[in-house]
Amino acid sequence: MGATKLSGMQKQVLSLYRGFLRAARSKTTEDRRRIEMIVSTEFHKNSKEVDRKNFQYIEYLLRLGTKQLDQLKNPDMVSISSIKVVTSKT
Amino acid sequence: MAARNALLRHLRVNVNASLLKDNIGARESALPFTVLLRRFSDEVRGSFLDKSDVTDRVISVVKNFQRVDPSKVTPKAHFHNDLGLDSLDTVEVVMAFEEEFGFEIPDNEADKIQSIDLAVEFISSHPQAK
Repeated sequence: MGATKLSGMQKQVLSLYRGFLRAARSKTTEDRRRIEMIVSTEFHKNSKEVDRKNFQYIEYLLRLGTKQLDQLKNPDMVSISSIKVVTSKT
Repeated sequence: MAARNALLRHLRVNVNASLLKDNIGARESALPFTVLLRRFSDEVRGSFLDKSDVTDRVISVVKNFQRVDPSKVTPKAHFHNDLGLDSLDTVEVVMAFEEEFGFEIPDNEADKIQSIDLAVEFISSHPQAK
């Protein structure tokens, strides 16, 4: 898997992943660990299950993830509920 | 008083400029450079970390990463080829470096950090790394 050269789409995915981990930093230690676990599982699962040529679906997941990240960035968001949406929807 | 302050400010600017200029040739040897920087006030944030120190800290961060076999971690190890990490794991490792060294690595730089020596290179040349 492209260890040296990343495609534009891969970069978008990694950037979204980074965004989630950054957002998780602003939560309490416990929430943070839970968010990181769920987000990491979700991304790794999709990286194995989704065909890397299925651009439309990946774009859909990127849009969905971006929306969920925006919600997570809200300081009032206590993570769990919004994160449960991540697992159930995708 | 105002005049004195103005003069002091003016003097410091001069000192900074000339010391830095003198020092450009001596950059190769890391020690004199950091020693010189210590003469400045805290406002001048520009000290670079020692490379071997950075290497040790980078290696210990990677060794503590859950999906890494600590015995495979060497100063030259490649995250994917040697340690078997995928690109998502690499993102996590680089984020862990951010926390260890207390500064943010922008996306386009982070994507380039694919091995321990590249990480050390980047961090030790970054003035904000702590």
